[in-house]
Amino acid sequence: MIRETMSRQERFKAAVSLEKPDRVPVMPLMTAFAVRSQGMTQGTAWRDPDMGFKAMLDTFNDLGGFDRLYKPNLFWPMIGGRFCSTPIRVLIPGRQLPEDSLNQIDERVLISRDDYDKLATLGWNAFWDEHYEKMTGGRKISYVAATQNQLLNLYKEEVTIYHGQDIHPLFGAYVDSSMMAFSMARTLTEFTMDLYEVPEKVKSAMDASCDDLIQNALDVVALTKIPVVFIVLERGSGFYYRTDIFDQFEWPYLRRYVDAFISEGLTPWFHLDTDWSLNLPYFREFPKGKCVADLDGTTDIFKAKEILGDHMCISGDVQAALLTLGQPHEVEAYCRRLIDEVGKNGGFILTTGCECPIDARFENVKAMVDTAKNYRGKNWH
Amino acid sequence: MKEKLKAAILGMNRQKAIDLVEKALSEGEDPFGILKTCRAAMEEVGKRFETGEFFLSELIYSAEVFKEVCAILEPGLMAKQNSDESQGVVVIGTPKGDVHDLGKNLMATLMRSHSFTVYDLGVDVPHENLVKEVKRRKAPILALSALITPAFVSMRAAIDLLAAEGLRKKTFVIIGGGVTTDFARKEIGADAQTMNPAEAIRLCRRHLKGSDKAEQL
Repeated sequence: MIRETMSRQERFKAAVSLEKPDRVPVMPLMTAFAVRSQGMTQGTAWRDPDMGFKAMLDTFNDLGGFDRLYKPNLFWPMIGGRFCSTPIRVLIPGRQLPEDSLNQIDERVLISRDDYDKLATLGWNAFWDEHYEKMTGGRKISYVAATQNQLLNLYKEEVTIYHGQDIHPLFGAYVDSSMMAFSMARTLTEFTMDLYEVPEKVKSAMDASCDDLIQNALDVVALTKIPVVFIVLERGSGFYYRTDIFDQFEWPYLRRYVDAFISEGLTPWFHLDTDWSLNLPYFREFPKGKCVADLDGTTDIFKAKEILGDHMCISGDVQAALLTLGQPHEVEAYCRRLIDEVGKNGGFILTTGCECPIDARFENVKAMVDTAKNYRGKNWH
Repeated sequence: MKEKLKAAILGMNRQKAIDLVEKALSEGEDPFGILKTCRAAMEEVGKRFETGEFFLSELIYSAEVFKEVCAILEPGLMAKQNSDESQGVVVIGTPKGDVHDLGKNLMATLMRSHSFTVYDLGVDVPHENLVKEVKRRKAPILALSALITPAFVSMRAAIDLLAAEGLRKKTFVIIGGGVTTDFARKEIGADAQTMNPAEAIRLCRRHLKGSDKAEQL
């Protein structure tokens, strides 16, 4: 084991600011995996937040501890009725799905093309105040708001417990990027049609929604007091769209997000699912050593290091397939390669590529955590 | 009309494409001829995607246009169904454990637009149903799409069942979707994996020409 000379907090901060930590920080982005690791059904943890919390804590300890905990529990923190992302329908194990299934998003058309005009007039928050009940067939927004506030309080309590044990949840708030939010509201297909057929309507709605989305995230951080904002991207990448679409519908808003968050002393964490190779050069425009580009295994992380490595911390990207189907020695070999090449000269956090899969082999996730603790890398000078 | 229709599809102009198709039908044009033009346009979309000129969004857009045009043509096509037109039969589905359908739906439409006969079994499909359909349709291709890892178990089970039923060598199994990788393909025992819809079509066509399977395995 590498002799540690930094605390978990110091190690994380050093990596983000492109300084060299004592070793590469490591963090599996685990939720459902933790529940299954404890022999609990997913439904149990969804019904009882105390069980979800226990699963997360016990799995963290069973893995020997690591540098950041993705989430304290299964849910995201949000102020009641002030949506940081589109209020999508999630299929829950034990309710809409079998008891031990992974929760899954049921992507449906939630707003019509005409609703862009309403969004442009009302902005994000006032639109959902008006639209939510209609969209859900009569479910009052006050009902969901009460649940969200209850969970937010729980989130804060759990963060305090974790901090008491030197365990550090990753983010203080999360927020959908502009294209992510609208794509989830319209579905990928309908949103794509809109971009070609009514781009000005989409743009007006985005213009009117951006400040609310930013403020909602800032309000959550003010309560959770964790200075990292997890920005969910994916739907705006070059995997889907040419850069002139990205230029109009994602980049200007992302810049506003980043300006707002950094000016409040927060770290933007870009959760970049799908292939972002084409867009990565844009990210060099953000302030150096202030953000994290979190890759899921689809973007070539080694190329990303060449493009961004001297400018932005990179995290990633132990793939789901490897963690589920591979062997510990294969996981270790890949993690070593990441540490050698992406970890060279610092600015790297070893994470799972997107969330740790529900059916990842425990010994594989352990191999990932242990490799960061035991292997400094051959380029560590 | 042919060139205008092709241009409308390639120019991402849904309404124009629909107007042209409706006009052509009202003027008595053969629906198969119109379909052929649309398929030629979709072939061109695929080519442009492969060269990087088009992006996935253009595949998504044109696939939607194609779907809508097919719905307009359908009554005329049903009256003169001609199975000889098919390039091959594909059974497609999202395996049990996964309910995501965006990638699978896109792939099904694109395959139809490239003259495959597609049997889409939907999402969360048990492996037994996938194999039963392959058998029933005498399909040389089984295409499986997944966004989350629990689908791997069903993919592997489908492949094992194909083997047990003596169909494995006759069936080209191709997997795709966000969670799949070449590593997963090898572990599961599929013949091909891709995240690229145009490549998927190319691989299936190559297989049907009889040159692909040995190379992949």
